[in-house]
Amino acid sequence: MSTQSRSPKRLPVLPIVVGGVAILLVLAVVLTRGGSDDGGSDVGEAAAVEVSGGSLSRLDDTATDPELGALAPEISGVDFDGNAVAITNDGRAKMIMFVAHWCGVCQEEVPEVVGWLADNPLPPEVDLYLVSTGVDETRPNYPPSEWLDEESWTAPAMLDSEDFAAATAFGLPAYPYWVFVAADGTVVGRVTGGLGADVLDSLAVNLAAL
Amino acid sequence: MSVDTVNVFFAAGAVLGFALLTAFTVVVAAARRSEAAAEWRDVIVESFGPHALVLAAVLAVGAVGGSLYYSEIVDWEPCEFCWYQRTAMYPLAVITVIAAWRRDHGVGRYVYPLAGIGTGLAGYHYLIQNVPSLAPETCSLAVPCTTKLIWEFGFVSMPLIGVATFLAIVALTWIDRAFHTRETKPSAGT
Repeated sequence: MSTQSRSPKRLPVLPIVVGGVAILLVLAVVLTRGGSDDGGSDVGEAAAVEVSGGSLSRLDDTATDPELGALAPEISGVDFDGNAVAITNDGRAKMIMFVAHWCGVCQEEVPEVVGWLADNPLPPEVDLYLVSTGVDETRPNYPPSEWLDEESWTAPAMLDSEDFAAATAFGLPAYPYWVFVAADGTVVGRVTGGLGADVLDSLAVNLAAL
Repeated sequence: MSVDTVNVFFAAGAVLGFALLTAFTVVVAAARRSEAAAEWRDVIVESFGPHALVLAAVLAVGAVGGSLYYSEIVDWEPCEFCWYQRTAMYPLAVITVIAAWRRDHGVGRYVYPLAGIGTGLAGYHYLIQNVPSLAPETCSLAVPCTTKLIWEFGFVSMPLIGVATFLAIVALTWIDRAFHTRETKPSAGT
């Protein structure tokens, strides 16, 4: 019997690579054929916002926020159904949450707030608003109307304008962004980032007691 | 070609790449104990060895081209971690192209550290995309690193494509080295 060693057989690498790339390309074209329809939402995702009163400066540092005690601007616009929404100095304390649909931290914070509200009703003296801003249809999790529907968001939600007038008026530096307004209309806190249920609960209680 | 098509193309390529890398790793690991696995390893090294550096260069240049396509044509501004990964991938493209041109089979000493750093950065980026609470706690106005600009098949994002690319470049560089080491070794019994 011959014990001659065989050299390993060779696969046709270049045809395999070229064929593989071609298959991936065809697969990509087939999977995305007619795929630009994002689900057919007819709801506007941005709308005009009217701002009155002085705008707040952009928040640089929560600890040394120069706008604490300043009168909050008043904004009015519409929600995702086209109903009027106004965040004004109406004698009630407010928690205002600015979110962007594509922001991962916002995507964690919204269900956190929904869960918190389900377990802990807001103090009667406090209102909660969401402002959907930073809308960009080229970014993930678009449209925000569907996202908030899926998250079962029920509190008033205002659409920011295409030039983010509401966010700018409140000095938004990053997402998510919370602004807390006392019943007398003054800003008592501005903070970026997800707060979570426990912090929100104590903030709401403190806000009601002001 | 739409951006969606390009996304799916890169994502499907990454999935295929991970499948091949897994199979390759299993074969190489099993080759120490199994003759059949050793034969398969040899087939892979013999088949891909002569082209491995060119394929690594094509992958690295393709990754650079892809990143420039997204930032310069689609207008997606790179986030901080994307930039860090670019600092690993862009030199890799230059190094692997020169290595393929000069047939430098010792290029692994430059490729492995760069690709290793790139893999670590891309892996961490993928992690914070999926667990945003691990990341800096806010999303910057422009380009937060937690945003999944690409999200295909329910798990493939841009940094995961980066991980697949870095690892594939490492594997191809290893194959090139293994092939040429074997080729230059004197045959047993001669």
